[in-house]
Amino acid sequence: MSTFIKDFIERETVSRRNFLFAAAAGMGAAAMPGLLGSGNARAALTDPAIAWSYRDRASAYWNSVVSGGEAFVESLGRPKSALVSLINEGSTEKSLADIKAFLAKNNGNCAIACDANDSPNARPVVEAVQAAGAYISTIWNKTDDLHPWDFGDNYVSHMTWSDEKPAEETARILFEAMGGEGGVVHLGGIAANNPAVERLAGLKNALKDFPKIELLDAQPADWDTQKGAALMASFLTRYGDKIKGVHCANDNIAYGVIEALRAEGIENMPIVAYDGNPEAVQMVMDGQLLATVFTNPHWGGGISAALAYHAAIGTFKPSEEPKEHREFYGPTILVTAKDAAEFKAKYLDSVPAYDWKDFWGPSNGQIQYKA
Amino acid sequence: MTRRLSRETLIKWAPLLVLIALVIFFTALNPTFFSLRNFARIAIAAAPALMVAVGVTFIIVMGSIDLSMEGTVSMTAVSFAFIFAQLGGSLGGLGWVAIPLVLVLGGLIGVLNGLVHVKLKIPSFMASLAMGFVGTGAAILLTGGDIVKVSDAAFRGLLTVRWLGFPLMVYIAAFFLFAGWFIQTHTTLGRNFYAVGGGEDLAHASGLNVTRVRVTGFALAGVFYAIAAILVVARIGQAESVTGANFMFVSITSVVVGGVALWGGIGGVWNALVGVLIVNVIDNGMVVIGLPDFLQDGVLGLLVILAVVLSTDRKMVSFVK
Repeated sequence: MSTFIKDFIERETVSRRNFLFAAAAGMGAAAMPGLLGSGNARAALTDPAIAWSYRDRASAYWNSVVSGGEAFVESLGRPKSALVSLINEGSTEKSLADIKAFLAKNNGNCAIACDANDSPNARPVVEAVQAAGAYISTIWNKTDDLHPWDFGDNYVSHMTWSDEKPAEETARILFEAMGGEGGVVHLGGIAANNPAVERLAGLKNALKDFPKIELLDAQPADWDTQKGAALMASFLTRYGDKIKGVHCANDNIAYGVIEALRAEGIENMPIVAYDGNPEAVQMVMDGQLLATVFTNPHWGGGISAALAYHAAIGTFKPSEEPKEHREFYGPTILVTAKDAAEFKAKYLDSVPAYDWKDFWGPSNGQIQYKA
Repeated sequence: MTRRLSRETLIKWAPLLVLIALVIFFTALNPTFFSLRNFARIAIAAAPALMVAVGVTFIIVMGSIDLSMEGTVSMTAVSFAFIFAQLGGSLGGLGWVAIPLVLVLGGLIGVLNGLVHVKLKIPSFMASLAMGFVGTGAAILLTGGDIVKVSDAAFRGLLTVRWLGFPLMVYIAAFFLFAGWFIQTHTTLGRNFYAVGGGEDLAHASGLNVTRVRVTGFALAGVFYAIAAILVVARIGQAESVTGANFMFVSITSVVVGGVALWGGIGGVWNALVGVLIVNVIDNGMVVIGLPDFLQDGVLGLLVILAVVLSTDRKMVSFVK
């Protein structure tokens, strides 16, 4: 037998014995707080630490979400830095690990706002928060069978945006600009993302009322400008002059589409986008885009943190609220050429001051699930 | 002897044969694939990726790896956009100064990369990956997550002005491809890359300053990443902290598919060119023939494996790690 294997077996034998000791000690320790009274039965927290768990700082969208969170903590008289950023960088594992670490560090005295990065991750995140006696509000990602009301007060709320209706509206604007006939292509988000699915579904709904419009192709451009440009170029090879209009799943893709068309010397192609980023709003004003949709991420970021915080300190009791206050749609505002200037002045040039205790004012009704 | 020779020749030309086969395949399924306009579209998409691939080729030939391209491209693209705007925002005015400045910046990032690698004796894989993160972080810090637009008509002429059907940016990329070829074959530095990659101990024993060659190699790669960054900005008219995203996968895949061996000493910039074209032809061709999108990633993966199988001399490799 090689020494390596022998050493390995010896080490494993020893560590198994140690493990049994440690386990016995651990179970004793775990039982102690139970005997001394549960830590999870706290009715309300005092001065909880506030965190936002989100994807990254590299996009206008998440920056706007965080700016809302910061505006909220400032309204409490705390500095911006009182909002802790838990950046998951698109990793589900990091999302959950960071939240658990934050809970442990603050001993459960936390109010957390979170996008769980992917739908299945919302459940372990919420369960960890409940086990620690903390409070959480989520946005965007959760599975349909996960509901705040199944977790008492700790899972305060979930907000998402229904993109189907607004995407349908942008499609109608596009089709009318095309004169009600011709071919259209759709450049989508990452195929499995819920907003990508809904935005394409919206386009398809609008198609029913425009029989002379043909959807030539719909392919994912992964929310990305460069991918959008390359995909649009390939579409031009495949469909050429048949393309009379372009439906984009977000603003970033639309920027790429406009550049791909610019390279070919094609101007005045009707294009619609989504997200209402400042550059896109400017393009609507300049006539390069027909429409985009604003989802007010600043308000969403602030109100999610506010909901978790106020539930934590006992301003309201989530379990006594109706279901439409636990699961609801965020606001959507359609931006077109005729209202772009007004919109820009109201929402982009100066950020409106929101009442962070008006939790549900701008919201858009209870979330509906498709059977 | 002749059999051995012909096998080597075949392997040497395999990537090009794969490329030709792909072009024939896509053309057969949709003849519009084989048109000047479509080739121009493929060239526009491939030009920035080609510059990154040429840069990383030098490093891979040395037997190292450089994974800093995403951060370096983002960082230099954002810096270019800011400096360009700061100097008047026009190529006609002082704006052109931004170009050499950004090339120097790319070189400096490369030097830093190389120094971290050789002085701290960190494997190039880890050193460059870490430096790439630093670059992305710096780009986020500079932009605050916002997009920086570059809309000067003269600069955008790189995309909009065509010559013989191809935009100017394609010729710029071709020029630097030749520059890369010149460095590779006609300079001491280029030959030294192969010496280090072919047998570092031997090169060292022969009196070659391997440390200096490595640092210079990383600097050179950095300059090529900066060229790529400028071409990306020319192509999409904006810079942001995610401008460099995806370049790691595309460039490393391209270089390997093109027949540059990851263990060093084999291949060169022409392999990088063929590899980049293979990847971009596949990308474009799959849409042009109307392959369903859920199959595209899988097919890309399979074609990459196929291309590598055909284009590497696996008999020379005793084990793979």
